[in-house]
Amino acid sequence: MTSLYAPSAEDVMQRLRPYGFFFEKSLKDLIRGIRSHNDTPEQLEMFLEAQLSECRKEANSSNMELKTNAILKLTYLEMYGYDMSWCNFHILEVMSSNKLQQKRVGYLAASQSFHKDADVLMLATNLLKKDLKYANSNDVFKVGIALSGLSTIVTPELAKDIVDDLFLMLNSSRPYIRKKTVTALYKVFLEYPEALQSNFDNFTSKLEDPDKSVVSATISVICELSKKNPAPFIRLSPLLYEILIDIDDNWIIIRLLKLFTNLSKIEPKLKGRLLPKIIELMDSTNAASVLYEAVNCIISGNMLDETDYDVAVQCLEILHNFCNSQDSNLRYISCVLFYKIGKINTNFISQYDELIMKLISDVDISIRLKAIELLRGIVSEDNLRLIVSTLVKQFVGDEVAIVETSRGVSKEIPIVIPETYKIKIVDVILYICAMDNYANVDDFEWYNAVLYDLTIVSLDLNENKLGTKIGEQLRNLMIRVPDIRNITIVNIIKITSLESVEIKLPSILEGCLWSLGEYSTYLENGDALLRLLLKKAPHMQYTTQSTTIIALVKLFITWCNRNQDQAVQIKAILEKLVNFLSGLNYSKSFEVQEISLQMYEILKLSLEALEEQADGFPLLLSEVIPSFFNSYELTPISLGTQRQLPKGIDFDIDLPFLTNEQLDEVLKGQESLAEEDTDIYDSDRFSLASVEHNFISNADYSDGSSDSDGGKEHFDDTYKDFIDESCEVEHKKEMLSNPFYLGNINDTNNNNKVKDILDIGDDTKEDSINSADIMKLSKDHAELKSQVEAKKKKNKMKKKTKMKVLSDQVIVIPGVTDSVKLNGRKKHVSPSNSLLSNKINLKKHTKLEDYNFDNSKNDNDEEIQELEKLRSKFQNQNLDNVKMDDNNNEEEVIVIKKKKKKKSKKDVPSKKSKKDHKSTETTPEVSAEPLIDNAKSE
Amino acid sequence: MSHIKYLLLVSRQGKVRLMQWYTPLTPKQKTKIINDLTPLILTRKPKMCNILEYNDHKVVYRRYASLYFICGITNNQDNELLTLEIIHRFVETMDTYFGNVCELDIIFHFDKAYDILNELIMCDGSMAESSKKEILNNIHAMDAIQNNDHLDRVLS
Repeated sequence: MTSLYAPSAEDVMQRLRPYGFFFEKSLKDLIRGIRSHNDTPEQLEMFLEAQLSECRKEANSSNMELKTNAILKLTYLEMYGYDMSWCNFHILEVMSSNKLQQKRVGYLAASQSFHKDADVLMLATNLLKKDLKYANSNDVFKVGIALSGLSTIVTPELAKDIVDDLFLMLNSSRPYIRKKTVTALYKVFLEYPEALQSNFDNFTSKLEDPDKSVVSATISVICELSKKNPAPFIRLSPLLYEILIDIDDNWIIIRLLKLFTNLSKIEPKLKGRLLPKIIELMDSTNAASVLYEAVNCIISGNMLDETDYDVAVQCLEILHNFCNSQDSNLRYISCVLFYKIGKINTNFISQYDELIMKLISDVDISIRLKAIELLRGIVSEDNLRLIVSTLVKQFVGDEVAIVETSRGVSKEIPIVIPETYKIKIVDVILYICAMDNYANVDDFEWYNAVLYDLTIVSLDLNENKLGTKIGEQLRNLMIRVPDIRNITIVNIIKITSLESVEIKLPSILEGCLWSLGEYSTYLENGDALLRLLLKKAPHMQYTTQSTTIIALVKLFITWCNRNQDQAVQIKAILEKLVNFLSGLNYSKSFEVQEISLQMYEILKLSLEALEEQADGFPLLLSEVIPSFFNSYELTPISLGTQRQLPKGIDFDIDLPFLTNEQLDEVLKGQESLAEEDTDIYDSDRFSLASVEHNFISNADYSDGSSDSDGGKEHFDDTYKDFIDESCEVEHKKEMLSNPFYLGNINDTNNNNKVKDILDIGDDTKEDSINSADIMKLSKDHAELKSQVEAKKKKNKMKKKTKMKVLSDQVIVIPGVTDSVKLNGRKKHVSPSNSLLSNKINLKKHTKLEDYNFDNSKNDNDEEIQELEKLRSKFQNQNLDNVKMDDNNNEEEVIVIKKKKKKKSKKDVPSKKSKKDHKSTETTPEVSAEPLIDNAKSE
Repeated sequence: MSHIKYLLLVSRQGKVRLMQWYTPLTPKQKTKIINDLTPLILTRKPKMCNILEYNDHKVVYRRYASLYFICGITNNQDNELLTLEIIHRFVETMDTYFGNVCELDIIFHFDKAYDILNELIMCDGSMAESSKKEILNNIHAMDAIQNNDHLDRVLS
């Protein structure tokens, strides 16, 4: 039985508490609890939830000790992702405690949890003002804590209120406080740049402070400020230069170099004084970080000109040493600097090809990622093959890094090649090969093989952009390198017929299909390809589909004109085509719908004509549709040409394409030609060939086509040729796994197979569409092909003659200024940037960045005076309106506050505009508003 | 100089032991950074360099025993080597303060670790005090005042 006076458990706890006895869970208990409840996530979750509600209770208690303890625990729990902003007011209470321990906890919690919480900050202002008062020696740390805390929670309003107190403290006798104040001012300046403007000299005088740590802090702050806005600090440069010469502290030297980098960016005159000093520093110091910073200062501070070979060599020597060091960090940062130097002048780095080749095989992928960017600086005709083969080999991914463990045992760790790096490889290979209109590629068959390999690799990379790029390369090859079109087209067919390419890498098809359609004359049996494409087309993307439709029509026209005698098959294919197009007539994509409808109607007409005209070949197919596509050869045209076209050209729409006489002639000719149909095609081709300038001579065509019997043999020859070439391709692995790379072993078998397929009738073809079957090259080109072959052999003998690569045609239209011309190729596009989606951006825009320090002090004073006037006016009015009800009063204040905020946020382009701004907006705002309210209340 | 945007201490199991943000970020962004970086850094091999690029900025990290010290710094503006140096200075200072520091020290005295960090790196993420001795003097002085507080409390 308990006596009436016996203390309850609660009382006992209360009495013991001052002696340091706690019955609530301390932070230690919390951490131990977390560690012991670590078995399952659910268990931990439950434990933490329970703790959290306990903390909530404790934080609400009136006991300061308890409250502090709870806040400390909550701060710890915040690291586990539990929001603590609900207890901001409790934090404020703890912050206001007189005990240093509690204050420390309070400020710690505040710095983690106050995020522009306007209500709390308003209350915190007074507290901060109080805490910043320095009374006795014990207060040093109180002030220090308050300063640290202040800078994490500062807002423009708070900055404005507190800035005067801070400037007073700059003159404190304690270096510790001066140092902390200087750094705290940094955050204040960011939020409230006006403060820096009015106290510039006061602040920068700290550069001459007797205490080194204060100087160091001041330099840090100026350095940081100069990142945002270097202009006002230019005039400090003589003083800073003195410090740089005198000081021997590496920490400060590095900061000074950073600062000079920022200043030199906008003040080129600094270079003359600084550069000799920096070079001297580079010679004298041994510290890697100082060396690195010095080189960085020269490069980033625009102190290196394009022609400055001596300085460049000196910098590059240092970087060269870094790159050869064991420290992977040094290798990485010097790679980055290498890139920057290369950007200034590529010639600087061109001699470091060996080093860069070493770096792209570094054990560290992040170094490779950097080094791979450098390749474009060192690539040349001689080393292109080596570079590409080194890079492609990395796809295989069986490299290992040898790591020495702590016990001196070396261990092999496989290097994991991330997908981003693989994408980058493909990207870079394409870039360095296509550079300067294929200046570095000496063998386009090799490049074809590379493109094929890259396609295979890209299939698994899940990056659609690569497909577009490879497709563009194939198309470019097709257009620009006429000598190897027949090889490229085989390559394109192989790629198009890859299994599920339309799903895995749909973007590659656009370029491929366009080429197939445009150069369909190179293909012998277009029907097989047509069947294949018809099978694939329904699975394609809309954008690809619209290209496909045109390509299909082109292919069909070329093929049916060449095989006019096989009316049955033509009809069969045409029906299929019409069927396919009718399916697309209701496509969701407007573009596809339009094109398919157009083609559908025309082909349907052709089909009807074919059915009616049993004896001959319809004119529509032999003349009209080909004329859509074959009037002239397409050539590469430089970027921006279209923009130069004069506007508002008039067309005579009424003029008929053919006069009546011409029409009669054509019709007559049609009739007569129908009898010997093979010749039509030839004549058509002649006219085509005569237009082509850089193309094969007419003789080739006529020779080839007249020799119609030898088609199969020719085909066999070409195919064999291709097999021979493919043997040269370096990547054996892919060769084996890929049915289209036919190794030596399968050579004869496959040849037989090809023959078999050819012998089998057309009926079976439909079921087994084989890409080898489609790959029949036009017999016309077999001859040409053998010529190329001969040429190639000659090349191999010794002298390498470059293949002709068509360059961009520049069409000059009279009367158009040259300034419109674009150098699109020179544009440097870094591909990696676009890969990043939903970025976190650390670069915060601060007011300081666009704050104009040029306003001279006088103007400023004038402005302040004006502002004062307005204020007094406003106050008077307020006094007059005392009767006004509270609501109205509050509203009014808020309105004005908002206006002020806006004003301070705005750029201040010149003093005049600011003044105008004020006189037009602020004054009526202040004077007019209460008047209306007055009228209402009266 | 180095302008650190944030400093994280992450254990090898991916637990956050300490985090200090020198740039205002929303809690969502913070979680995203932690969630993105932790696996990225924990999977890096010992021979790899201690710098990686993450979104628009660079991340410098260093491993000490079971703890990873991770710093976010501005791209192209900050000195990576110096940042590593600062991390090292932080570890050294804690080592002297706790006497052979280990992960448990930081877990149980995380407020002390924050105090040291506050002395070493200023609120704006720049190095405030490079002298280890000075930092320790300040911390010890603060601890002394705190102990006096305790004493006062017991005596009152």
